[in-house]
Amino acid sequence: MIALRRMRGQNLVLAILAALWVATIIGLSALSPAMFNAGTLTNILQFSTILSLVALGQTLVILSGGAGIDLSIGGTVSLSAMLAMLAFKTGMPIALVPPACILIGLLLGAINGLLVTRLRILPLIATLGTLFIYSGSALALTGGAAMSGVPAWMLAWGRGTIASLPLPFITIALPAFIVAGIVLLWTAWGRWIYAMGFNERSARLVGIPVDRVRFLIYTISGGLGGLAGLISLAWLGSGRPNIGQNLELESLTAAMLGGVAIVGGRGGVGGVLAAVLLLVTLKTGLLRLNVNTVWQVGIVGILLIAVLIADRLTTHRR
Amino acid sequence: MKDMVRIFATAAAIATIGVGAAFAQEKPKVAFVPQIVGIPYFNAMEAGGKKAAADLGVDFIYSGPVDGNPVDQLQIVQNLIDQGVNALAVSVLDASAIAPVAEAAKAKGVKLFTSDSDAPDSGRLVYVAQATDEGLGDAIIDELVKRVGEDAKIGIVSGEATASNLNAWIGFMQKRAAARYPKLKLLEPQYAGSTAQRAAQVSSDLMAANPDLKGLIAVASSTCPGVAQAIETAGKIGQITATGYCSPNTARAYLKSGAFGFTVLWDPSQLGYLTVWAGKQLIDGKAFEASNTIPGMTSPATYDAATGILLLGPPAIFTAENVDKYDF
Amino acid sequence: MINVLPRGAVVEKRELLLLAACVLAIALFAIASPFFATADNAVTILRNSVELLLISLGMSLLLAMGGVDVSIGTVMGLAAFVIGRLLTAAVDPSLAALAGILAGTALGMVTGAVVVFGRIPAIVATLGLLGVYKAAIYLALGGAWLSGLPPTLTEMLQVRIVGVPIAVIVIALSYGVIWLAMRRTPFGLHLLAVGNSEEKARLQGVNTKLIQFSTFVISGTLAGVAAVFYIGTYRNVEMTIGSTLALDAIAAVVLGGTSILGGKCSLLGTVLGVLLLRILQNGLLLVGVPSLWQAVVTGALLIGVLSIEGLSGRLQLKFAGATQ
Repeated sequence: MIALRRMRGQNLVLAILAALWVATIIGLSALSPAMFNAGTLTNILQFSTILSLVALGQTLVILSGGAGIDLSIGGTVSLSAMLAMLAFKTGMPIALVPPACILIGLLLGAINGLLVTRLRILPLIATLGTLFIYSGSALALTGGAAMSGVPAWMLAWGRGTIASLPLPFITIALPAFIVAGIVLLWTAWGRWIYAMGFNERSARLVGIPVDRVRFLIYTISGGLGGLAGLISLAWLGSGRPNIGQNLELESLTAAMLGGVAIVGGRGGVGGVLAAVLLLVTLKTGLLRLNVNTVWQVGIVGILLIAVLIADRLTTHRR
Repeated sequence: MKDMVRIFATAAAIATIGVGAAFAQEKPKVAFVPQIVGIPYFNAMEAGGKKAAADLGVDFIYSGPVDGNPVDQLQIVQNLIDQGVNALAVSVLDASAIAPVAEAAKAKGVKLFTSDSDAPDSGRLVYVAQATDEGLGDAIIDELVKRVGEDAKIGIVSGEATASNLNAWIGFMQKRAAARYPKLKLLEPQYAGSTAQRAAQVSSDLMAANPDLKGLIAVASSTCPGVAQAIETAGKIGQITATGYCSPNTARAYLKSGAFGFTVLWDPSQLGYLTVWAGKQLIDGKAFEASNTIPGMTSPATYDAATGILLLGPPAIFTAENVDKYDF
Repeated sequence: MINVLPRGAVVEKRELLLLAACVLAIALFAIASPFFATADNAVTILRNSVELLLISLGMSLLLAMGGVDVSIGTVMGLAAFVIGRLLTAAVDPSLAALAGILAGTALGMVTGAVVVFGRIPAIVATLGLLGVYKAAIYLALGGAWLSGLPPTLTEMLQVRIVGVPIAVIVIALSYGVIWLAMRRTPFGLHLLAVGNSEEKARLQGVNTKLIQFSTFVISGTLAGVAAVFYIGTYRNVEMTIGSTLALDAIAAVVLGGTSILGGKCSLLGTVLGVLLLRILQNGLLLVGVPSLWQAVVTGALLIGVLSIEGLSGRLQLKFAGATQ
C-alpha cells in the first residue's frame, strides 16, 4: 500500500516536471523562435549528461537515508579523470583509460562508503572531507594544467550523435537511469533502499543488510562519478582538474528539485532526470536570451526554495 | 495545489527571463565571452566593445560564466553559436576547452576567434592579443629588477591554477629570469583561487616563510588587492615591492601607499574595442593589414600573419606618478 | 549513528587531542623552519584566523542545533559590501561597522525565516539562498570591485585596550557571551535539546521555532562582525568574497568536536579547530609545500581525526560487548 502511494507520488513529480519543462521550452521559444531546433536538443542533452550521472549517484545516496549525501562527487569526477590520464602518461595503454576511470571512481566511492558505514562518520562530514581531498588532489597532482592526449576513437564517441542525440547520453546516462529505475521499482534491492531511507531502525529489524547496501550505494555513486569523468575526457578531449567544480551543489539541487526528500526514502530517479533537463534547459534558455548569467544562479536558488516550500505546503495538507 | 505552486514558480522564472530579453535586430552580431563576469577588467572590455559596436553598426553581446568554470564557459559559447551570432570572440579559460565547439562554429559559419587569452591549436581565425605572453612576462621581470635589483628573492601569487593564460605568463617570467638575471630567485608560484582573502593569506605566509623577500607578483587581477593588503598589514612597505597585472583603478590606493611599486597592464577597453573591430572585419571578409589604423583607437594594431595574432601594442606601466591619468 | 561515548568525555578527549595536535604541529614546524616560531608569524596566523573564528562560533551553534548554513560566507560578503559602500561615502567608521553588523543580523533573519517558517531542511534552504545572495552581491557591485577603501575603519580597529588588539577582545567577548548563553541560560539547554530531537524538545515545551530562528540570527550577526574585521584587514570587496568560508567553518567546527547530529557543542574545540587548520596551512607553506595541497590537508585532517574517533568508538563497543 505504501509502495503504491509512493509510486503515485513519484509519477506526480515526474508529470509536474515534464509539464514545467514543456512550459519552459514553449515559453522560451515564444521569446526566441530561433531556439526551437534539433541543435538545441543536442546541446541541452550534451550539457545534461555529466550532471545527470552525478545527480543519479547523489539521488541513490540520499534515498538510502542515514542522513546520506555525497559532497565529494564533483571531486570524484575530477580525480578519476585526472588519475586515469596520469596513468596513461606514465605508460598505461590508452585503451585502459575508460576502465581505469570507472575503477578509480568506484574506489573513491568505496572510501566514502567505508568512512560512513565502518567508521560511522556522518556522510555530510565524511564526504566534505573527501571533497577537499579529491578535488584538492586533482589540482595539486597536476599543478592545475589540463592533460591532453585523448585518442580520436574516444572523441568520436564523446562528441558523436545519432539523430541529434549525443552518444554519451544515450549509451551511458539514459541506460543508467533506466537500470536504476528498474532496480528501485521492481527488485528487492530497490525495496531495501526505500525501506532503509524510510525508517532505518525497522529496516535493520526486518533483517536488511543496511550497512552492506549503503556501502555499495556509495561505491556506485563513485562509479557514476568515474563514468562522468570518462565522458568529460571523451567530450572535451582533455582531462581538467577542475571539471567537477560545483557539481556537488548542482547535483544536490537537481535531486531536491526532482522530488527526492533530503531525509531519504521518498523520491525517484525519473523526477531527477526531469529536473536535470529542466535546469539545463532553463540555463540554455537564459543564455539564448542573453540574460546576465548571474541571474541563473539567483533563479535556480529561488526555484529550489519555492519548490520545497510548495512541497511542504502540500505534504502538510495531505 | 502542488502543481499550481510549482508552475507559478516557473512562470516567475520565465517572466524574469522575459524582462531581460532583447528583440532581434538585423545588424550583424558580435559576441564576446570573458573568463568570468563581475570583475573590473572584463567590465572595461565590455565597455570598449559596446563603444566599438556603436561606432561600427553591429550588435554586441557580452556573456560569461559567474565563477570561472570552464564547462559553464563552454556552454555559453555553444549557445552563442546555436543562436547564430556572426562572430564570436572568447577569452579562453582553458586552451583545450574550445576544441569541441570550434568544429560546431565552423559548420554553422560562425567566425570564432580568441581574444585576451588564446587557444593556439583550436583552429581559431585570429587571436586578438593585448600584448604577447612573452612581452608581458618580460616586462614585469625587467621593471621589477629595475626596482629591487638583480640579487633578490621574488614570490609569485596567481589565481586559479587552471588558468592557461596566467600560467603562460608565469612560464615566460621564469624563462626571462633564467636567461637574463641568473641571481634573481623566483619562488614557486602559489595559487590563491579567486578570493582576495586567500591571496592575502598566501602572501602573508610567503612573507613569513621568506623574511628576505624583496618582491611579490600578483598574476591574476583578482589577487592584486590581497597581495597589496598583506604587505600593508605586515608593515613591510618599502621592504617589499609588489607588482602585478592590475588595472589602475584596482591598484591606485596601493600604488600611492607604496605597497605596489608599479603595475603592468594594457587598456582593456581598447582591447574590447579591437576585439569587436576584428569581429566586424571577419564578418565582412576583409583581411587584416600588417598595421591597422583604426578610428577610435589610440594606436595602430599590428598583425602577424604567421601566428595569426592581432596585437594591441606594448603594455603600459602604471606608477604612483601616472596612475591618476587613467580610469579603468 | 548515535555516539556511544558519554557526552562529556568525548568533548574533553577531542579538545585534548586537538590541543596536542596544535602543540605537535607547532613543535614540528618550529624545527623544520626557522621562521615559524616567531612573533611576527604568530601574529600573521592569528590575523588570518579572525573572520573564520567568528563565523565558526556561529556555525558551532547551528550545527549543535542540527542546522547548517552554507551561505554564511556570502552573508559576510553582503555585510562587507554595506560597510565598504558606507566607508567610500565617508560615513563615520563606527557607524559603518554598526550598519554592517546589522546587515548580518538582518540576513540571518532572512535565512532563519526561510528555514524555520518555510520548514525546509537547512542544508537545502541555505544552498538556495547561497545562489540568491551571490546574485545579490554581483548586482550590488555591478562588476566593479570596491577596492582601496579609505583606511578609516582600519585605523579604528588598530586600537589596543591594555595592550590587547581589539580583534582579540571582540572574539573573547563573543566567545564569553555565547559560552554563558550555552551554559548558564535556558537558551543553551533548549538549543541542545532541539539538536538532539526537535520533536522531543517541542513535546517538552521548548519553543523550537524561536530557538532555531534566533540561532540563525546570532550566526548572521557574527558574520556581520566578521565583515567588520574583513574590511578592516582587506579594504576590498570582490564578487567571490567569502566563497570558501562556509565549508572551512564546517570543517573547523566538526574538527572541534561539535556534533553535526546536533545536541553537542564545543566552543573551545571550535577555536582549537580553526587554529589547527590555520597553523597547518601556514606551516606547510613555510616548509615549502605548495598552497595547492592545503585543501587536501584540510580534508585529510578532518577524515583523520574523525576516523580515530570512529575506530576508538568501535573498540570501546567491542570491549563493552566483551564484558557483558
